Amino acid sequence: MKPQYKHELMTSFLLWFDHELLQEGEAYSNKTGQLYSKSDSRIPDSYSAFQSNYKQWVSDSSVTGPTNPVIPTEFNGNSRSNDFIFDFENGRIIETGGATISTDITGTFAVKDFNVYLTNETEEDLILENKFQINSRYGDLSMSGIDPYDQVVPAIFLNSEYMRNEGFAFGGEDLTKNIIKAVVISDSEYQLDGALSIFADAARKTFSKIPFSDHPSTEYGDVKGGTYNYLNLSNSHSSEIPYFIEDVTVSKFSERAQSRLPGNLKVGFIDFDVSTSRFPRS
Amino acid sequence: MILTSSNISQINRQVPKLARGQVQKQFAPAFQKLKNKMIAEFLNHPVTLEIKGGTSSDNISGTLAGATNLFSFIGFESGSDPTSAIEKILSSTNFRFSRTTRNSVEFEIDMPEAAEIFAATPMPWAPGRSWAKGIETGISGLGYYLKISKDSSRSGLGIQSPRKVRKSGSKFKNTQYISALIKKYQKEFANLQL
Repeated sequence: MKPQYKHELMTSFLLWFDHELLQEGEAYSNKTGQLYSKSDSRIPDSYSAFQSNYKQWVSDSSVTGPTNPVIPTEFNGNSRSNDFIFDFENGRIIETGGATISTDITGTFAVKDFNVYLTNETEEDLILENKFQINSRYGDLSMSGIDPYDQVVPAIFLNSEYMRNEGFAFGGEDLTKNIIKAVVISDSEYQLDGALSIFADAARKTFSKIPFSDHPSTEYGDVKGGTYNYLNLSNSHSSEIPYFIEDVTVSKFSERAQSRLPGNLKVGFIDFDVSTSRFPRS
Repeated sequence: MILTSSNISQINRQVPKLARGQVQKQFAPAFQKLKNKMIAEFLNHPVTLEIKGGTSSDNISGTLAGATNLFSFIGFESGSDPTSAIEKILSSTNFRFSRTTRNSVEFEIDMPEAAEIFAATPMPWAPGRSWAKGIETGISGLGYYLKISKDSSRSGLGIQSPRKVRKSGSKFKNTQYISALIKKYQKEFANLQL
C-alpha cells in the first residue's frame, strides 16, 4: 500500500515534535563516551555494530542553543567515507565492511533528553508494563548490554487513533481533524513539566507536510546525504497547506494515580487537536 | 384624531417595544420546553445512563463490547456521579432580550459550548483530560487497570499486566456524546420561533 494521509501526518508530526522539543527546550546534552561492540541479528553478518550508552542521538543541524548539539561525523577517524553508518536512532555506528576496527572507539555526540517514538501500543501497555530501561541509568554495555532496538525512557510516545472528515467548503473540500496523543514518561518531575510546558505553548502553531519521499532517515537510522536540517526541509514544503494545531491539552497523572504506578516514573499526557483542509475524495 | 403618516410611523416603532413583555411571556415556556428536551436527551443518553448506573451497570452504550462498564473503565470513585456536572452546565442555558426590529422581538440564547463541558469533566487519573471528550475521541484503559492494581495491592497481589487481564474485544469504541448534543440544540434554539 502506498503511504496515506495518516502516515504522512504522523511522520510530519514526529519530525516537527522532535525539532520543537530540542529547540524550545534545549532538550539535549553533549556526551563523550565509548562505543561497545554489540551483535545485532537484524543487520548483515558482514556488518559490525558499536553501541553507545545512550539513544537517541540528535541528528537535526537546525537545532541551536548556547551550546550547539554535537552531531557526529566521525569516530576515531571512522566516517561515512570509510563505509560507516551513523545510526542516530539507536545511538551507535555500524561498520559495513572493509575497515579495520579498533575495539576502543570513543566520540562525542548529542543525546536527546527525551527519545521520541511513534507507537501503536495502548497507554496502559506503555505505562503499566514497566518494561523500559532508563537512558541515564544503564551503564557499561559491555557488562550489562541493551538490545539495539529496545525503547528507553525518558521518552515520548506518539499515537493517533482519532480521525474525522468534516465538510468545509463547496467543491468537496473537507476539514480533516485528528487527535494525536503523546504519553510522556520521565524519571524526573522537572523534565516532565518542561516537556508539558513546551507543548502547551504549541497551540495555534502550524507544521509542514513532509512527504514520505523526503523523510530524512535511512533504513539504518542514518540521515540521507549525511546531513539533516529540519527547518530547511520544512521551508522547502512551505507552499503546501500546513497542518494546524487547533488546541493542546496537557495533563499529569494525578497524585493518587501516580502512587499506584510501578517504579518511580513520572507520567504526563499531551493531546493535540490537529486539522488540515484537503480534498479526500478527489 | 387624524393619523398622519408621521403618527403611523411612530406607532409602528413603538408596537414591538410594547409587545416585548407579551412576547417574552410566550417565549419563556417554549424555551423551557426545548431546554427540558435537551436535558432529557442528555440524561437518557446510553453513556449517561451507564455512568449513572455506577460500578454495577451494564455496558448499555456498547462502547466496551460488554467487557466492563464505563464507570469502572474510566476509573471513577465509587459513589460519585460524574454526569451531574454536565447536567448543571446544561441547566444554565438561558435566554435574554436582544432587540426589537420592525416585525419581531429577538432573544439571545446563552448556551454552553462543548469546550465548557469538557473543562468541567476531568478524567479521575489525569485531571487535564476530559472523560466526556474521551467518549467521543477515545479513552485508554488506564483508569481501569490502575483501579485493578489498587484493589490487587490491597489483597497483596501487586499490579497486573494489562496484557494479562485484557479480554478480547475490550478496546474502547468511540461514540457521539456532548459535541453532537450541543450542535443539535444550538440549531434548534436558533430556529425557535413563536
